[in-house]
Amino acid sequence: MSIPYFPGCTLHVKAKALDDSTRAALAVLGLELSGLPEWTCCGTVFPLARNNYIGMVASARILANAAKQGDGRLVTVCSFCYHVLKRVNHAVRNSDEARTKLNDYLEEDYDGQLRVLHPLELLRDEVGFGALRNRVGAGLKGTRVACYYGCMLSRPAAEMDFGDPEDPAVMEKFVAALGGEPADFSWKTKCCGSYQVLNEQGLVAGRVKDIFQAAAAGGAQVIITSCPLCQYNLEAHSEADNHSRIPVLYFAQLLGIALEIPINKLGLAGRYADPEALLQGARR
Amino acid sequence: MTGTGIEVTLKVREISGQNPFLCMQCGLCSAGCTGKGTMDMLPRQVMRLLQFGSGKLLDERSMWICTTCLTCTARCPRGIDVARVMEALRALNQRRGVSVLAPADLGAEILADVPQMALTSAFRKLSA
Amino acid sequence: MTGESTMVSIYIMGKQYEVPDGVTIMKAMEFAGYRFIRGCGCRGGFCGACGTVYRTPGNFRLKVGLACATMVEAGMHLAQIPFYPANRAAYDLQALAPTLGTLRQHYPEMTRCLGCNQCTRICPQGLPVMDYIAAAQCGDLEKTAHQSFDCIMCGLCASRCPAEIVQYNVGILARRLFGRHIAPPARHLAQRVQDIEAGKFDDELERLMRMGREELQKRYYARDIE
Repeated sequence: MSIPYFPGCTLHVKAKALDDSTRAALAVLGLELSGLPEWTCCGTVFPLARNNYIGMVASARILANAAKQGDGRLVTVCSFCYHVLKRVNHAVRNSDEARTKLNDYLEEDYDGQLRVLHPLELLRDEVGFGALRNRVGAGLKGTRVACYYGCMLSRPAAEMDFGDPEDPAVMEKFVAALGGEPADFSWKTKCCGSYQVLNEQGLVAGRVKDIFQAAAAGGAQVIITSCPLCQYNLEAHSEADNHSRIPVLYFAQLLGIALEIPINKLGLAGRYADPEALLQGARR
Repeated sequence: MTGTGIEVTLKVREISGQNPFLCMQCGLCSAGCTGKGTMDMLPRQVMRLLQFGSGKLLDERSMWICTTCLTCTARCPRGIDVARVMEALRALNQRRGVSVLAPADLGAEILADVPQMALTSAFRKLSA
Repeated sequence: MTGESTMVSIYIMGKQYEVPDGVTIMKAMEFAGYRFIRGCGCRGGFCGACGTVYRTPGNFRLKVGLACATMVEAGMHLAQIPFYPANRAAYDLQALAPTLGTLRQHYPEMTRCLGCNQCTRICPQGLPVMDYIAAAQCGDLEKTAHQSFDCIMCGLCASRCPAEIVQYNVGILARRLFGRHIAPPARHLAQRVQDIEAGKFDDELERLMRMGREELQKRYYARDIE
């Protein structure tokens, strides 16, 4: 089964590990991702000012083109892409004005009926966490994992439909299915400071410190995320301030480890915190 | 947009689609705010000044510290999408050419280093 | 240009002129009295000096073409945009790494792209300008280089960009980085340079230098043309 897939700009170079590990892990589970033929940046942020339709044009074009693939689904894994594509899709589907203006501008006829899906949703609904549990065997052998959703996946709840806006559970169920143990992690949907890394570095440093402390308090051996910016902010400030040597992996890398996919296909050359100890534990 | 008094409030109301007069000043938005340690004026205070009709708001830094993490939006017991209010304040500034981040401000190292979405989102949120 | 031509009305920068039908915009402007010091180069559609925007009656769309290669249409309103101020980085190509970081360091504003597609729409070369900027944002230098390859640097894309990106300068930086650092070196070129330096063509050149005009002309017209 091949599903239309929007990798997004960051996954070409900066977060290639997320692209590689997602494709490799899903392929092992029988889900082939096929990249859209031509695409641009999604815009990264959903415009919150009313009538800012120009801020939705890029995402709307991607959605309209994805709909032409005929599958009815579009998979995307980066938290920013997922957030903005899903919200623009929601706007096209539910707002006559958004649908009309965007289609008029793009000279398209897109109705918003595409389902924008995160790989975690595919794993839950298409593979099934029960089947995943059977597939991985001993899996992560009780490795304690802090599930870091960040701010983009679950809010606003009505549009993202990703569980409770401040206490989603899909990632924990995913970890449990891999034979890992979800760590208590009160900061799981807190923001890492996001794009303020370019403007208010101190803010990001403070947030990252608290995030690592919360993860450490829960006994986490690894933090997982689906956001390249969370990953960057956590790792960059982890090194700078030496808070923690808890490795920060993409959830798909963890999935790859549990599925015993060769390390070189998962982009696991950790820059700051070496995941080797984790691998040893999981593969003992 | 001169940014005086109640005009700012009315403009914010129009751009955000949110009614600041619904705010009952409980402070849940401030308590959960990502930028609370850095802001000069917390989200609850921003809402209060909007109710008063203070044009000074456009010169405060809070809107530029906001990370649009939507925690305030998720928590507001009055159903106000506070993040949209912050966006409206940014938009009022951006539309008159005011911004806090210009491409030329960024150093070579960070430009080479950060993932794409950091640049694109920062420029959309913080530059005119 | 004969007196028997049918004449049409066109508007150059808002002023009406009667010009012969069936001529290029450039010739029509010269007919109307304009004398080009800038905004005109090769007159063959290659150099990109004569970018022109126009509208035709009853159509809201802004159209675009090179003045030297676009025919006049009755009732058209036109203005040349031979030059558009551009942010252009200075760099030493040899010292640059062929990376996403290099593109961003020189043109960070490229990440402001809104995806409006006006650049693609206006490109007189029909290039997928928005797509090559998207590829540049990804750090895909090869794709950026290939998709922007036929760019003539006319600057019309930059004139339309709401994010104030200078697309063609991003494109040429990508092409240079790709050509210098990524594309495999052309072995036949290296061989030819070696042959020249070894004096392989010296005799032939010497003969040409001594040739009279008539013989040169004969050879010129008899030459192989690809």
